[in-house]
Amino acid sequence: MQLHYSMRGAVWIFIYLLFILAPLFALLTGSFPPSPRGFPGEFAVAVGYSGLAMMGLQFGLTARFRYVTEPWGEDVIYHFHRQISLVAIALVILHVLILFVLRPQRLAMLNFFEASWRASFGALSIYALIALVVTALWRTKLKIRYETWHLSHIVLAVIAIAAGLLHMLGFGRYLVDPWKQALWVGLTLFWIALLIYVRVVKPLFMLRRPYRVVEVRKERGDTWTLAMEPDGHLGFRFSPGQFGWMTVWGNPFKVTGHPFSFSSSAATTDGRVEMSIRALGDFTSAIPDLPVGQRVYLDGPYGAFTIGNPADMHVLISGGIGVTPMMSMIRTLADRGDKRPVILLYASKDWESITFREDLETLKARLDLTTVYVLQNPTGEWIGEQGYITAEMFKRHLPPPYETHEYFICGPDVMMDAIENALKELGVPLSKYHSERYSFV
Amino acid sequence: MRRLFADRLVIMTALVVIVMAAVFAFLRVAAG
Repeated sequence: MQLHYSMRGAVWIFIYLLFILAPLFALLTGSFPPSPRGFPGEFAVAVGYSGLAMMGLQFGLTARFRYVTEPWGEDVIYHFHRQISLVAIALVILHVLILFVLRPQRLAMLNFFEASWRASFGALSIYALIALVVTALWRTKLKIRYETWHLSHIVLAVIAIAAGLLHMLGFGRYLVDPWKQALWVGLTLFWIALLIYVRVVKPLFMLRRPYRVVEVRKERGDTWTLAMEPDGHLGFRFSPGQFGWMTVWGNPFKVTGHPFSFSSSAATTDGRVEMSIRALGDFTSAIPDLPVGQRVYLDGPYGAFTIGNPADMHVLISGGIGVTPMMSMIRTLADRGDKRPVILLYASKDWESITFREDLETLKARLDLTTVYVLQNPTGEWIGEQGYITAEMFKRHLPPPYETHEYFICGPDVMMDAIENALKELGVPLSKYHSERYSFV
Repeated sequence: MRRLFADRLVIMTALVVIVMAAVFAFLRVAAG
């Protein structure tokens, strides 16, 4: 499966580059006027076109196509989406800077009142891009509500792409042939169509497949488990460790869904799913007040953080509410009658806030499960592990050779970085461990 | 670690695109 995913990953990288470079090099075919600009000017044009194509591809990255995201994991795709947007905007700014240096009179293009329409669209595209990046990078510092930001993010992205295209068509030095115009207009429409698919077509589909809340169960550690059953349809099957986007209040057309891991067994066949949610913000704190019978919408399943590779034992490492996907894995392995050992290293604030503590003890009767609790604030009588999970702790609890086990890590970013380094220290190859960062949105 | 891989992918993509943009410019100028 790992090799299969690597192959698919390589194919998607090739397709990604093809979508940027093919429309660019297509401009060199057919007819075009002589080049009066020389190398720097033509380079500026090329980075401008490439930057725009990369911005358009962002719609593809966030369209939640399972087939695309599976080899990487949704968190890595979103990380790439964020980082590559900085590259795209850098290319667009480089495009402008080179052209300004070559001919400083072009600076007047930044003034909406004096510039031609085609220049104004270029300026509008850049302003939208800058606003897009600034609000994305500093949303929390700017105190922008997540829902407001998400909506503005979509609007600004559409403005940036559409204005960039109009700017390109307006100058049109390379788009003399109608087929080249059709190529770039078609590509832009394709990106916007992806957005329409995610925001209109998919919600329409979800509207016909609602779920009902059948139970709201209190767990330890300020956490509630929400059990949901499909209402009038068969639901979907998921793999343990995967997650779904949940919309509770309103309809699936609402811009903001919230991603949560499934905590129930994937072996159930009646479509019932459970999500365990810790009260950490406005949305999550309102979960306990949800009435039984409440209609909810689920978009899923997503994520590559799942069991299935050959392994002699599963090592599950979680911090705080990062235990939810592990719980789904443990319950599924128990339901499947899996005989392989499972070790859960679970970092928690204190003994009382260990979510699923009793459930885990019960599951030990059906599975070769060992739990190692690591407490941050233990009481005086605690004799177990405390502090942070380290390489030394792995050596105390895991049988060598370490590289034959399959590792799953889910928790806060700092903890995950530390654990990934500890596993590297133990000589565990990258292919043997899987991680999912729940702070990816 | 996977994010480190994603970061490397971003850098590689940026380098490929910049090199190819230079190739584009070179070919364009050569074409006259």
